[in-house]
Amino acid sequence: MLAKRIQPMASQAKRLYVELMFQVMGRALQAVSEVDSEVQGEARVLPEGFLFEMMVMPEGSRLIVEHIGNGRFHYHGDSAPRPVDVSIKFKHLTHAFLVLSFQEKTSVAFANDRMLVDGDVSYAVRMTRVLNRLEAFILPKIIAERAVKEYPANLHLPEKLISAAQIYLKVATHFVQTVRA
Amino acid sequence: MSNTYYEFFCPVKVIAGKAALEHIPYELSALGAKRPMVVTDKGVRAAGLLDPVIAACEESGLEIVNIYDDVPPDSSTTVVRDIAAVYRKEKCDSIIAIGGGSAIDTGKAVNILVSEGGDDIAKYSGAGVLKRPLKPFLVVPTTAGTGSEVTSIAVITDEKKGVKLPFTSSYLLPNAAVIDPRMTLTLPPHITAATAMDAMTHAVESFTCMAKNPLSDAYATAAIKKVSRSLLQVMDNPKDSDGRLELAQASTMAGIAFSNSMVGLVHSLGHATGAICHLPHGLCMSLYLPYVLEYNLETIREPLSELLLHLEGPEVYAATPASRRAEASISALRKLRDALYKRCKLPRTLKETGKVTEDQLDQIAEMALDDGSIMFNPKEVTLKDARAVLQRAWA
Ligand SMILES: [Fe+2]
Repeated sequence: MLAKRIQPMASQAKRLYVELMFQVMGRALQAVSEVDSEVQGEARVLPEGFLFEMMVMPEGSRLIVEHIGNGRFHYHGDSAPRPVDVSIKFKHLTHAFLVLSFQEKTSVAFANDRMLVDGDVSYAVRMTRVLNRLEAFILPKIIAERAVKEYPANLHLPEKLISAAQIYLKVATHFVQTVRA
Repeated sequence: MSNTYYEFFCPVKVIAGKAALEHIPYELSALGAKRPMVVTDKGVRAAGLLDPVIAACEESGLEIVNIYDDVPPDSSTTVVRDIAAVYRKEKCDSIIAIGGGSAIDTGKAVNILVSEGGDDIAKYSGAGVLKRPLKPFLVVPTTAGTGSEVTSIAVITDEKKGVKLPFTSSYLLPNAAVIDPRMTLTLPPHITAATAMDAMTHAVESFTCMAKNPLSDAYATAAIKKVSRSLLQVMDNPKDSDGRLELAQASTMAGIAFSNSMVGLVHSLGHATGAICHLPHGLCMSLYLPYVLEYNLETIREPLSELLLHLEGPEVYAATPASRRAEASISALRKLRDALYKRCKLPRTLKETGKVTEDQLDQIAEMALDDGSIMFNPKEVTLKDARAVLQRAWA
């Protein structure tokens, strides 16, 4: 399993992995919001220009997306054009790594105090649902089931998008194997 | 489970039992405070609950410098600013909040302003904004339910913007919670019932939701046992001060449990219903509890089975086959609700409240989905799921 293979990674490698996964997720968020009506429905409620951040405390990697209206997200990379509205902060690199390498479910990480929410909680709840949906999309089912509370029954995405995202994932996995060696 | 991890935190000194109020002067002086201000509401004053507190302080030569008794049921930023102004003018050096959830939340918020300075409480809203301890602060709960005396959160309405501002910081916790059975002796039956069911829900949800941990479990089960044993006794004999103390302690214990392990869908639905239909929080908790447990059933079968022991006692637990215990726990809660309905008409369905219309259910479902506590519900909840639970709770 993925989890087993990446166990002995050093902190530098964890850092690179987390950074890469943030990039994968950022791009995938933008892509999924262009095609999936459920994600769009969730996102539409967010104000236009709403900035969402995930980051590793104290000043580690980050991922920033903006709701640009109509349920669409735009990925900003790791720098925000203005102060963010909602930030999910992992308390430590190791916690981000646990979640982003799918060893700990996002909801469990919340319950376990692995991360903090800064900003409007109702928007944070909404973004967690979007992230769950995203993880279900881009991960092979077997891994996705570990990442989200329940695997959605209704995933209708163009094959192309799924495979594109899965390519990212393969890159990430491959990367993990490489740094481990 | 190598990934198991939890945090547990409760630095509040609990001062509970007979003549607990008489410990207030000592506790304040131990904190170096000499000029306390009381923050409370008109109901507390009218019920004569301030008298024993004032007497206790006077007998020890401690002067209560000011009493602000005008906290509304839904406290606002304006109220907080006004109280802080009085505090400063009277050169107070500590706060005693006496009341239910609103008075306690107001006390917490006032403490932020008078400790950190300024008039704009909104500036301190959010998580982790406060970086150092605040002024000496005691809480005397007069309802047995909210558990606010041991939670590190306060919610204050910003009237101008029409939003509720949350404040979270461990510095909001009081230095001590004073639990004296005299303070809840005169609670009317329907409030006794609703607030006790709030405590029950805190305990049941913290025991069955995602952030449960061994320490909060211990507090939760003890609270469930106390409410199960004492609530109907107190309903039948309101002056039973031992029973009152049991309920008050249960409320504090349930508060410690849920502030460490959070609550779930009962609270998400309850918060939404409270906001849309203006129903009291405890009433909503009692109403939704069995329906949500039924929804979560297959995810929480194990912990819910265990709760039967604390709800019904060892005989019933032993006599119930293991495979039926989870359902039996839900039945026990339904039985308790029926008994409360008989005694004080505490509603069991949305229809029985007379204040909710069927066409509001969609709005409640949507709002519940945005509530922070839904993240800790053990089972994922979609809009459709929330609607289905509401439909079952309708009648
Ligand atoms: Fe509650």
